[in-house]
Amino acid sequence: MAYQLYRNTTLGNSLQESLDELIQTQQITPQLALQVLLQFDKAINTALANRVRNRVNFRGSLNTYRFCDNVWTFVLNDVEFREVTDLVKVDKVKIVACDGKNTGSGAAE
Amino acid sequence: METSHGICRIAVALGETHCRTLLEHVDQWQGFQALVNMILFCTGIPGHYPVDETTSTLTLTFWYTLQDDILSFDADRQALYLQMYRPLYFQLVDVLLHKSHFPSDEAFASWSSDDKEQFRIYRVDISDTLMYVYDLLGPELLRNLYDRLGRLLTESGRTASWQDIEALLFGFQSIAETVDVSYSDVIPGLVGLIPLISVTNVELADTVMFTIGSLGEWLADHPLMLGGILPVVLQALTNPDLSVSSVSALKRICRECRYNLQPHTDNILAATQDVLVKQIHKSAQCMWLMQALGFLISALPGEQILGKLLPLLSPHLQQLEHLTKETPNPSNKSAIVHILGLLSSLFTTLDTSSEREGSEDMAIARPAAVPHPDPHPVVVILQQFFPLIQAVLSKWLTDSEVVEAACAIFDKSLKTLLSSFAPLVSQLSELVGQMYGAVPQAAALDLTRQLVHIFSGEKEHFGPVKTLLELLTSITLSIFQREPRDHPDIVDSFMQLHAQVLKRKAELYLSETLDIKALFYCGILSLKFPEKPTVKSTCLFFTELVPHCEDIPAVGEVLQEDGKLLLQSLLEGVGGQAPRSLMEYFAEVLLCLNRHCHSLMSVWLQEVMLIPNFPSARVSMEQKQTFSQQILREQTNKRHIREIVRDFSQQCRGLHGTEYAGDY
Repeated sequence: MAYQLYRNTTLGNSLQESLDELIQTQQITPQLALQVLLQFDKAINTALANRVRNRVNFRGSLNTYRFCDNVWTFVLNDVEFREVTDLVKVDKVKIVACDGKNTGSGAAE
Repeated sequence: METSHGICRIAVALGETHCRTLLEHVDQWQGFQALVNMILFCTGIPGHYPVDETTSTLTLTFWYTLQDDILSFDADRQALYLQMYRPLYFQLVDVLLHKSHFPSDEAFASWSSDDKEQFRIYRVDISDTLMYVYDLLGPELLRNLYDRLGRLLTESGRTASWQDIEALLFGFQSIAETVDVSYSDVIPGLVGLIPLISVTNVELADTVMFTIGSLGEWLADHPLMLGGILPVVLQALTNPDLSVSSVSALKRICRECRYNLQPHTDNILAATQDVLVKQIHKSAQCMWLMQALGFLISALPGEQILGKLLPLLSPHLQQLEHLTKETPNPSNKSAIVHILGLLSSLFTTLDTSSEREGSEDMAIARPAAVPHPDPHPVVVILQQFFPLIQAVLSKWLTDSEVVEAACAIFDKSLKTLLSSFAPLVSQLSELVGQMYGAVPQAAALDLTRQLVHIFSGEKEHFGPVKTLLELLTSITLSIFQREPRDHPDIVDSFMQLHAQVLKRKAELYLSETLDIKALFYCGILSLKFPEKPTVKSTCLFFTELVPHCEDIPAVGEVLQEDGKLLLQSLLEGVGGQAPRSLMEYFAEVLLCLNRHCHSLMSVWLQEVMLIPNFPSARVSMEQKQTFSQQILREQTNKRHIREIVRDFSQQCRGLHGTEYAGDY
């Protein structure tokens, strides 16, 4: 089972909204919707691992860190994100990160 | 290739999975050393990735693992392992730089675009590895790279290939990009060597530019070195093949070194203006150039700013004037949008109020915020070309892209000028009102929201904004009476605008010119939109509105009369008509209602829950009663009320207890 943390992204949320609608109109069962979500998990984990081209650097002040169930959660303050010439500054960023080497570990967000 | 690939996979898997165990078995060190050397061989396998081999990339993560495990030991064991493995990691650096070499020009030209892209990504991976390895090897690594580069460039009789030079610079850039190199004693030497590099091709030139860019912060602390470096960057600006790298280098220097660039201002302005007028670069890079100039000019003494701005902008404003006189067509539209974009890019970074960010322990004193004459030079410029913007808008009012580009100029300058924008408030308010009256667009509402945000506390300037707000509200209410579903973006921006008004200037709602009841009903309608941003903004509007039921009589009245309708609409959303991802926003409105209209809320809840099959046929009377009691009991804890709403929402949708719904 691949990581489920990408379900709470624009793409993941849109998929779930569509699935919710299909469930509510009884066109599919929650079990089938779950299978679709699991397939989404696999597809997005693979795509992000193999098809991402860009690199963004960032730095900021570490406010909190947590490591639980193999999931790191960081909260950073005053963060700068840099990609080529673009520099974006934000006051607060929360990062949820799972081990990139073991996408099949089944850890959830 | 397949055989070596398979063997490499086995070796790497063994090394990565059992690295720590193998390290700890010191008596087996020779065996592990042999394995590590095998992996090193695989990293440096002959041939270019990806056309000759695809094995080397498999090994990169092993080096992270080995380094992490070595550095995780206690001090004594770490010292021992570092003694053994530091030389190996220096070898690794050599291997990685060798593998990052570009092939010959002829060979590279024969590669497909896919191969070139994969090679670029491979070099990024190598760059990441080098950056990580710096943690282990420290400044000695930079010294190593510098010595080799110096020998290549200065030894006479030795012809270095551009690939050799580029690889070493690439190594520097990889490290300087993210590591603080201020304490390295080789950087001055490196900066001194850069002008000696004979740039004979694009890849090398790009790497030179990116390396200069990565040293931006260092150059800010060593401004004397700017004189040797800037001509290299300004020369590269004239080459369209180096567009991205040269513009990015200039922008980084202008951003980091702005307070030390005064001696070079005229040269930078002249070179940049030249390439802008000749249209050497694509639109995106032109925007970056203007942002760079914004940084540069913002650091000048106040009395000099206008003198630099006017000659810079004149050619573009003249062209804009010329284009405005033509009959609108796709070609002059893109040119107009481009010029408007240049202006808003400039104003994004032209901020004379920002002080230099830096650490307190810097030896060089930083100047305080640069004082500017009153009115602000940007205000003077905006006042001068205001009629031109009006002329553009009068011709292009129905084109949302041009309108957004024009509004962006004021939006960006508002954000940097803040209250200094005051002399323009009246003019801008009138313009926005005319725009919106002719063709309602969301950009006008967003601009008004900025004006409310900045000038709500300034009595002498808020009059025109208030008039504008009333006009926009009246026009938007008429849209709601006709076809609101065709304008979800307007509805979204409108709800955000009024949420801002309630937050900053709620006393406007005491005015009789604002129809609170109509706004309330518009909000009810907006809750039913399928577009998530619109519903979210509407929830925000109600979250700001409801608490004013006590101090604004009209709000109290409308809640008294139709609060039940609001509750019903919210519960319809919770029951299944709104996406589950919006439930936290619905929960916030429910909490607000419960806090400020508690006694009414308990009556409303009882009444609406009696409606059969409301909000869903899937929930029983008992479940509805439980939900009602839980909601009424909770008046403070946001997280708890979100959980209550989430659970009930899942029950309504037939998802409660399913693995599918999970923690969503």
